[in-house]
Amino acid sequence: MVKLELAQTLRKGSGRVWNVSWHPNGEALASCGEDRCIRIWGRDLLGKWGNKVVLTDGHKRTVRQVAWSPCGNFLASASFDATTCIWDRQGGEFECNATLEGHENEVKGVAWSRSGQFLATCSRDKSVWVWEVAEENEYDCAAVLQAHSQDVKKIAWHPAQDLLASASYDNTIKLFREDASDGDWICCGTLTGHASTVWGLSFEADGRRLVSCSDDSSLKVWRGYPAGNQEGVAVPEGESTWKCVCTVSGHHSGTIYDVAWCQRTGLIATACGDDAIRIFQEEAGGDEHAPSFGLVGAVERAHQQDVNCVAWSPTVTGLLASCSDDGDIKLWNVNEE
Amino acid sequence: MPFGDELENQNPTLYVKTADRSVTEEEYDDSIVDPFDQREIFDLIRNINDPEHPLTLEELHVVQQDLITIQNEKNYIHVSFTPTIPHCSMATLIGLSIRVKLLRCLPSRFKVKVEVTPGTHNSESQVNKQLADKERVAAALENSHLIKIINQCIESRKRG
Amino acid sequence: MSRFSGVLQLTDLDDFITPSQECIKPIESKVTKSSGTGSKISIQEDGSYFQIGADGKGQKLQEVEITLADCLACSGCITSAESVLVSQQNQEELFRVFEENRQLKLEGHWNKTKTIIVSVSVQPVLSLAYKCKLSPNDCAAKLATYFKMLGADMVVDMTVAQDLSLIEAQKEFIRRYRACEQDGNKHTLPMLASSCPGWVCYAEKTHGSYILPCISSTKSPQQIMGSLLKQWVGQKQSIYHITVMSCYDKKLEAAREDFADENTKERDVDCVITAIELEQMLLAANIDLAHLENSTFSQPWLMEDDHDISPMLYSHVGSGSGGYSDYIFIHSVMQLFGASRQNIQYKALRNPDFKEVVFERDGKVLLKFAIANGFRNIQNLVQKLKRGKSPYHYVEVMACPSGCLNGGAQVKPRTGQTAKEMIAELQKMYRNLPVATPEQSEIVKDLYDKWLGGQDSDKVNVILHTQYHAVEKVTHALNIKW
Repeated sequence: MVKLELAQTLRKGSGRVWNVSWHPNGEALASCGEDRCIRIWGRDLLGKWGNKVVLTDGHKRTVRQVAWSPCGNFLASASFDATTCIWDRQGGEFECNATLEGHENEVKGVAWSRSGQFLATCSRDKSVWVWEVAEENEYDCAAVLQAHSQDVKKIAWHPAQDLLASASYDNTIKLFREDASDGDWICCGTLTGHASTVWGLSFEADGRRLVSCSDDSSLKVWRGYPAGNQEGVAVPEGESTWKCVCTVSGHHSGTIYDVAWCQRTGLIATACGDDAIRIFQEEAGGDEHAPSFGLVGAVERAHQQDVNCVAWSPTVTGLLASCSDDGDIKLWNVNEE
Repeated sequence: MPFGDELENQNPTLYVKTADRSVTEEEYDDSIVDPFDQREIFDLIRNINDPEHPLTLEELHVVQQDLITIQNEKNYIHVSFTPTIPHCSMATLIGLSIRVKLLRCLPSRFKVKVEVTPGTHNSESQVNKQLADKERVAAALENSHLIKIINQCIESRKRG
Repeated sequence: MSRFSGVLQLTDLDDFITPSQECIKPIESKVTKSSGTGSKISIQEDGSYFQIGADGKGQKLQEVEITLADCLACSGCITSAESVLVSQQNQEELFRVFEENRQLKLEGHWNKTKTIIVSVSVQPVLSLAYKCKLSPNDCAAKLATYFKMLGADMVVDMTVAQDLSLIEAQKEFIRRYRACEQDGNKHTLPMLASSCPGWVCYAEKTHGSYILPCISSTKSPQQIMGSLLKQWVGQKQSIYHITVMSCYDKKLEAAREDFADENTKERDVDCVITAIELEQMLLAANIDLAHLENSTFSQPWLMEDDHDISPMLYSHVGSGSGGYSDYIFIHSVMQLFGASRQNIQYKALRNPDFKEVVFERDGKVLLKFAIANGFRNIQNLVQKLKRGKSPYHYVEVMACPSGCLNGGAQVKPRTGQTAKEMIAELQKMYRNLPVATPEQSEIVKDLYDKWLGGQDSDKVNVILHTQYHAVEKVTHALNIKW
């Protein structure tokens, strides 16, 4: 079992906080929300977290998600104002040096590929866009993917390959990859099984598996099977196929808005509309192709209202950030009991 | 059916309004814990105006007191509403007005669910799904045109 | 899944909305007003609405009909347009028109019958030829037989309209180039191609004011064909005009109000039928195209009695979308700089669907043209234009990746082939066709003289050119989708 200890509560702005994102070096945390601002938090000499920077002039509406580039030099922000801003820290000051336009309306998610070569955005307009990072703050549209039939809520890149996963209001997850022969992006998989909106996704550290969370109050773990796999899972036309190997249900009593698979510990954290944060762990000794995940820790009233996002620190084992409709950002230490 | 200058339902059925609630002595006493009841929630939403008619949701029987469920211990409130016609294109807007009114009036600890009364709308599940999606609701409330209409619907107008 | 091109699908927000549900066009419906309140409306099992009045009498409610033109004039959505479109320009409608005309002929109502003309563009013929393993000309000749079996009076080749469209676009480019040179008017260049209705519709709905002035005013081949048949050939007879095209977006184009007679509302193109629909029609009728006889194509614009010929399809230099960029480039280099360029080489940019070509002299770039196909490249182009960073004088823009040979309504690949292999094969078939030279065509010359009153007459501007309209965003709050 694990124990969640509240380390600190960060409170500054007003209104719902939608998302928090760790800087790759673990020294900064960016947050965003209803107040249209992006806040960057850092530690003081005593190790206490505090608000360092507020970026106010980028967006005209709610900022839904923020994401640091893998190199740590850029911060991307996705907003309901239909744009995505790329912020650059030059001379210590953050400046918006590119605004990506093209989505018809609310941008709901943004994510950098592990190589930093691609940026993906997803929107209420049902499309997923892949942008290629060109020179001098130029971002070229590499693909407009219209595979979903509804609102696209969240996107996540595979940790090792340029494979993109998207979660939608249409209850499915879609996978996309680039066709090397002509640079076209294609939908290479549709993962069905959730009974309602899929709100979040997170890849396991090695990219073998993917966990998704849904309005149906369940988690699903999907495993990729490459062509010619030993297990004999049918793989259509040489594409890897992703199969649901585990469904975790019965623990949440509301929409699960976010899920994060810890790269360091393998623990899975969830953010739920029932105000709770829960931690799951794979049960040892299980079948690799039919694993079980058990609830190993929870804080029932982690926040006063819905928890919107959970994010594991990339550098400090067991450090988890969460944010909520109640306006708070909380830092938790998750330790073995 | 598309709407323009014409109303979708030109002749809605009208119902009699409930009498005002009598306030008990206990309710004035702040020392007594007073959980929300059906009637209080109903009072919050009964005077919401229909987007199309100069009538309240109560008068159109879109909302009814006995279609409200409250679980105080779980901070949960469920409201069913009944569109006047099964293809009513205003259903999501009416639902949104109810949801916004309750979000504004109730303590933030409450989880509010607003749904179409089962069997009364031909896009029932889609309408319910959209109303339950807080991200879509949040985006809608940032739309100045939409929020204006909603404010018009939920501003309480005293009626003679 | 919508059958429109991707650009059009993006501009639509209505997920669960059918036209009858949330269409925002104000439409008048004839409802018999019942007195007082108390009437109830219920949905029948077939999905129709039934109103039961206070008197207990039932009445089936009339379904409201929206025209395609309504949809085009509205920024609300586009998939609503699709269901409307399906009801107005489909196989059933085609069969109905053929049948009606047959009846009128049978009954001897000659004053009411129409001359039904089918105009065939090259891309769908190649698509069907590929599927049926026929030579392009054989396929065209057999299609002619099929249409005549159905009741068509004439089947014609659209090459003449493509020729006119290229010549007009090239003249327009020179005009814009010179205007830009003279007064530095930045709104005249780059000139953007106008023959793809998906692209035009997207530009009108999303990027009105700063893109529309750049879009070429020259009509597309389909619409030039429409004018030619209805206004020139149609002087002596009443015509019903069907076109055979490679994408669904062409149906939207045909429905534009700009392409209908102001008074009679009669459209230049009455019905658009696509390769894939033709394939379905043949399949449903159990007809193997390969087994049909060959028939001739007509040339009614010659205004001679005996004008039938065996089909002879042509390609144009350059892309399979009509070759706009190549034609304009080659002739403009000649006219503006006196240089001759026959084989022009494009340089692919980020992907093969965005490529450019330059004309340089003394190390200075004098002309820079590009071909941008598919939505991602349209997007990059639009963003460049918006930021004033476009280096181009002309861009051939098409909504479909690989252009019109890969139109959204071409037939699917044969079993065992990928879409890419199919496109490569279609491109090869296209390249193997004899090349048309529009400026040398006697027929074209003749049409300018006899029909249009000269190369630069007012009539040319009225008949071969059109205009575009920015669509205002809907702000009617009751109809906002969220």
